Amino acid sequence: MSDQDLKTSVKGQILSISDLPTLPSVLDEVTKLVDDPNSSTEQVAKVISKDQVLSAKVLKMVNSPIYGFPGRITTIQHALVLLGLNVIKGIIISTSVFDMIQKAMSGLWEHSLGCALASGAIAKAAGFDDPEEFTVAGLLHDLGKVVTAVQLPELNEAIIMTVKEKNLCYYDAEKVVLGFGHDRINAWLARHWNLPPNVREAMTFHHHPDRAQFYQQTAAVVHVGDFIVRLFEYGNGGDDQISYFKPAAMKILKLKMKDLEPVMDELSDQFVEISGLTF
Amino acid sequence: MDKNNDHGLLGLTKQRAILVSPDESLKELLTNIWPEDVIRFELYAKAKGAIEDIFNNPPDLLIIDNRVTDITAAEMARLVKSENVYRQLPVVICFDEDDLVKPWDWNEIEVDDFLIRPFFMPVVRDRINLTLCRALRALDANPLSKLPGNTSIIQRIQSLIDRKQDFALAYCDLDYFKSFNDKYGFSRGDEVLNMTARIIVNTVKSFAGEQTFVGHVGGDDFVVITSPDIVEEACKGIIFSFDGIVPNFYDIEDRKRKSIVSVDRQGVTQTFPLMAISIAVVFNIGGKIKHFGEVSAIAMGLKKKAKENPKSNYVLDRRTP
Repeated sequence: MSDQDLKTSVKGQILSISDLPTLPSVLDEVTKLVDDPNSSTEQVAKVISKDQVLSAKVLKMVNSPIYGFPGRITTIQHALVLLGLNVIKGIIISTSVFDMIQKAMSGLWEHSLGCALASGAIAKAAGFDDPEEFTVAGLLHDLGKVVTAVQLPELNEAIIMTVKEKNLCYYDAEKVVLGFGHDRINAWLARHWNLPPNVREAMTFHHHPDRAQFYQQTAAVVHVGDFIVRLFEYGNGGDDQISYFKPAAMKILKLKMKDLEPVMDELSDQFVEISGLTF
Repeated sequence: MDKNNDHGLLGLTKQRAILVSPDESLKELLTNIWPEDVIRFELYAKAKGAIEDIFNNPPDLLIIDNRVTDITAAEMARLVKSENVYRQLPVVICFDEDDLVKPWDWNEIEVDDFLIRPFFMPVVRDRINLTLCRALRALDANPLSKLPGNTSIIQRIQSLIDRKQDFALAYCDLDYFKSFNDKYGFSRGDEVLNMTARIIVNTVKSFAGEQTFVGHVGGDDFVVITSPDIVEEACKGIIFSFDGIVPNFYDIEDRKRKSIVSVDRQGVTQTFPLMAISIAVVFNIGGKIKHFGEVSAIAMGLKKKAKENPKSNYVLDRRTP
């Protein structure tokens, strides 16, 4: 198959995903909450915000044209207010759980949650309003890896083998196997699901924030967040390497390295707090 | 006539139907299904007299037999459905089997249903019942939000008044919606209305076990009916969510500036704040209100007060009965 053919066939398979599974821990927790008539949307939002797949499903739904405001809603809390608990219940009931080996996946779940927390903290340090929007972008930055694992298990296996055998980072291994990375897959998904432009650009450009068109800041925050969470060795993004760091990101955020010190302190506390959470 | 009320149209009365057909047996069949105080039929053997009656005094249901000869049934249906004031009128067309040899173009002939000979009474009855119920639902729903409209809102208020049940009515509308629409265009405006409808419905629904109602008066006006106990909490919830979500509907520069700048017809530059939601709440406790007109009159007065504040806010009618 030529590179172009492979890309077209991969894109078709990625976008045809109809049932994205998640890991059981958050799903169980949120199921209990939505079954309790006294639960508030804030409580449910807080739990869903820990799970990249549930968050993606909720944002995909609220930004679908059916509701009449595609691409407008970024945060889980807002999505829940607009969808209502009834629809959330429907999403929860129809979500299945991974039946493949969970170990690799739970590392990715931790990495994504860690990147979400880090992105929120960095956004605050950079003085941006609405840090929750950056948290969501951080949470979803590796969603393409999950979708690849579900839809293209053989190619995914080949990527993992390449990481091990050639001692590459996951992103470079993807390029060896597929010819492109999860950032490209993210771009397809975000556009197909009408996700808001800031989340879309962060998902697409978190490896190259200077290439983002309108939301360089969001992409830069997630870039730095991805780097920091790997420094802390919290979770696993598919390899055990520290991602390369683009100094351009700090320039975009108008931050100096020493501005990250309080962020690191805050995060080390938060990571201790969530280390009890097992996916 | 059906003496056992076994016609299936419970709750509907005084429906007026026009039947245009030269077929005596069809008349016989229809008039025997429903009592006259449920559906009263006016019968025309020819289309000519019927059309004037339909236009002057639109019925609740029109049944046209394809056996009518002076004007075709298709032409009659087209006459009715091509006028916006009549097109909500449900039209059922009656066929002989031969009429269906070739498929009909239902985009051209916009009828709501058809019946086919030989007529089987239960099918005729339920088809017509279904057509009427569907038309009533569709008629009053706001086309944008699909929420119930004025007819249902008035009915709901009047029935609560008649049952002497305490209620609170919250009248919601948006500030600076017009300037948003002027700058961004009506489809962006519709996005905001869809969002507002969802917020109101879900906020009100989140009070477990409460009987609530949300209607869309039109444009940026919505009505919420709840029990007096929860209405203030509901107002706070609606305002909190609206203020949090509405900035997403502006372009990035306006969102940062927290205002929009536009030039009016006189060429004067004006600045408008981001949209806000104003809510006026009227209480009916202990049956002090006798007619729905009083509710809207009080609400309109309070609305002015709520609007004086450019930020989202609510005003409660605290007058004692």
